[in-house]
Amino acid sequence: MNIGRTRIELEPRLTSPRWLVLAVPFASVLLALVVGGVFLLLTGHAPIRTYSKLFSNGYSTFYGMTDTLGLATPLICTGLAAAYAFRMNLFNIGEEGQMYLGMIGGAWAGIALAEHLPKAIAVSVVLAFGALAGGLWVLVPAVLRAKLGTSEIVSTLLLNYVALNLVNYFIFGSRGFFRDSSTSFPQGRLVWSSARLGNFGTTNTYPTLIIAILLAIALWWFIRNSNYGYETSVFADSPSTARYAGMNATRLTVTVLLGSGALAGLAGAMYVVGPAGKIDPGLLQIGLGYAGIVVASLARYNFVAVVITAILFAGLRVGGASLQISTNPVPISIAVVLQGSVLLFALGGEIFRRNRIRIHRIKPLVISPEAGA
Amino acid sequence: MNSNVWVLTFADAISIATTLILASIGAIITERSGVINLGIEGMLLMGAVTAFLVGDSTHSIWLALFLSILVGMAMATVHAVLTITLRSNQIVSGLALVIFGTGLSQFLGKSVEGKPRPVQIRPLNFGSLSDIPFFGPVVFGHDLITYFTWIVALFASWYLFRTRSGLILRATGDAPATVDAQGVSVAAVRYFHTIAGGALVGLAGGWFMLARGTAWSQAATTNGIGWIALALVVFAAWRPLRAIIGAVLFGFTLQVPFTLQAQQIRIFPPEILQMLPYLATIAVLVVLSTPRARRLLGAPTMLGQPFVRDER
Repeated sequence: MNIGRTRIELEPRLTSPRWLVLAVPFASVLLALVVGGVFLLLTGHAPIRTYSKLFSNGYSTFYGMTDTLGLATPLICTGLAAAYAFRMNLFNIGEEGQMYLGMIGGAWAGIALAEHLPKAIAVSVVLAFGALAGGLWVLVPAVLRAKLGTSEIVSTLLLNYVALNLVNYFIFGSRGFFRDSSTSFPQGRLVWSSARLGNFGTTNTYPTLIIAILLAIALWWFIRNSNYGYETSVFADSPSTARYAGMNATRLTVTVLLGSGALAGLAGAMYVVGPAGKIDPGLLQIGLGYAGIVVASLARYNFVAVVITAILFAGLRVGGASLQISTNPVPISIAVVLQGSVLLFALGGEIFRRNRIRIHRIKPLVISPEAGA
Repeated sequence: MNSNVWVLTFADAISIATTLILASIGAIITERSGVINLGIEGMLLMGAVTAFLVGDSTHSIWLALFLSILVGMAMATVHAVLTITLRSNQIVSGLALVIFGTGLSQFLGKSVEGKPRPVQIRPLNFGSLSDIPFFGPVVFGHDLITYFTWIVALFASWYLFRTRSGLILRATGDAPATVDAQGVSVAAVRYFHTIAGGALVGLAGGWFMLARGTAWSQAATTNGIGWIALALVVFAAWRPLRAIIGAVLFGFTLQVPFTLQAQQIRIFPPEILQMLPYLATIAVLVVLSTPRARRLLGAPTMLGQPFVRDER
């Protein structure tokens, strides 16, 4: 690119220096805070005070931190779900809906199957059914993508709205299986107590956090060390190479998308065995599925980095919630504004990580008679 | 149930199609240049909240729509800088715009949550023409922007297929290296059309708020219409005039649940009916978006691919 006499060139880097790998996300967060600060000022809030409250409530106090870890639990799962598909260039953006289905599937198992089961088995069954429901929800887009090449992006997203209406139907529209029949107030029926895990002490953190973290490590290990993981990595880099090497593209596409859906479904099921214990329309308000996409992108689809990013983002949300308790409440959506801005800046910063920028002046071209001879 | 209800539903479908037409034509001219912008939903929301807030403080419909357009252009510019100059992943950039737009529209709209819309775009008064059966409501029952939208579609079609600029635009989406070899800047063509597309999407959001929306509600203002508009681009085969037909069809699926509810017809519960537009859209996508169909339809060959001169 030329600007006047100055020439800006991008030179691809073979390896990115370690400081840049950290500097880009750090600068993105800083710039996002500036953007958020502008909108805070515009709406009559003091940015510095708002931010210091946001961070101190989300990360520093004991209950703030445990709330953060509690919220991070399902977010790790939706983040893993997005990372698992995105790293293969399969853009499953329906984690939100798959998570709702996970909640529905988990609640079904918790009500229908869990009554006489011991706790360990009942909880596992609920989680398994949640994962199954989330996976099945992405089955149609997955098969269409693999067999017909139908873009999975729009189809998975549109199913979010179908899933949303399904939850609304079970709780508000019908008086069926999932609805608490003991009251006229529309709310979900509780699962059997054997299917629920207790929280740690008086905190909002549940043992499911450990499952989520172990899952991230297991996935990381699985992709690095299994034949299947190797195939997905080859496919991610070059689908044609994978095909020439005899890998089954259809099978890989379908199974990766199903796995992604199952991980998102697990997030919903964890909500059932943990804080909710039922189908809770409250989950529809938090947008953990969409946030999972941001988390995965910022973690650059690295499963272990997803855990750390999810915890940081959950803190933002918890801090945002505490800003509501004030005479001049800051809308909680400031957390979403910050998430979106961080992602935009991080995307822009990628180019600095991948390329060396060279700026030099162009020497004026002098055509001398000798040069032509 | 009388036939009149269905005439009115059809008229409503044509009206609601305005947003879909504007947004999908915005997406069509963007995608024709080789840039895919998935951020439509976020841009619609930002256009809508801008129109509401400006309308609320100035009571001027035109100023409200004008600023919606500017906001749409600003967001498209962000996408353009990220994907054209900085060569970021177009899919992720679009998603980031959706998340950013959703968050910011909720943040800015918080103060007016649930408040009824301050100004309303009303249908034009055609006098006795509107009383003609069928044609009255269907043709003469709309507001200025709806008619403007039909002209936009005609203009966009003429521009794409009958002008030199349109030819360059289509070539940029299909064979950017050729355009570059002709001495035309691929980046400039992509910037211009991405931002022009953003203007239409911003207007779509502003119009939707002031003509169809009753109140600002953070949960349910656009309800995924931006995603339906993206599917519509495929349905329309990247041709503006076909987008009109598709938009009316999709507008119909969006309107039918409300008609049936208003008529107390309870074949299905309302929540199930609300799924209809999304399921119908997926069904259409299934048929149309296979690679074979895409080739036949004429999808831009280099859609989503950044252009780097040295690599070709």
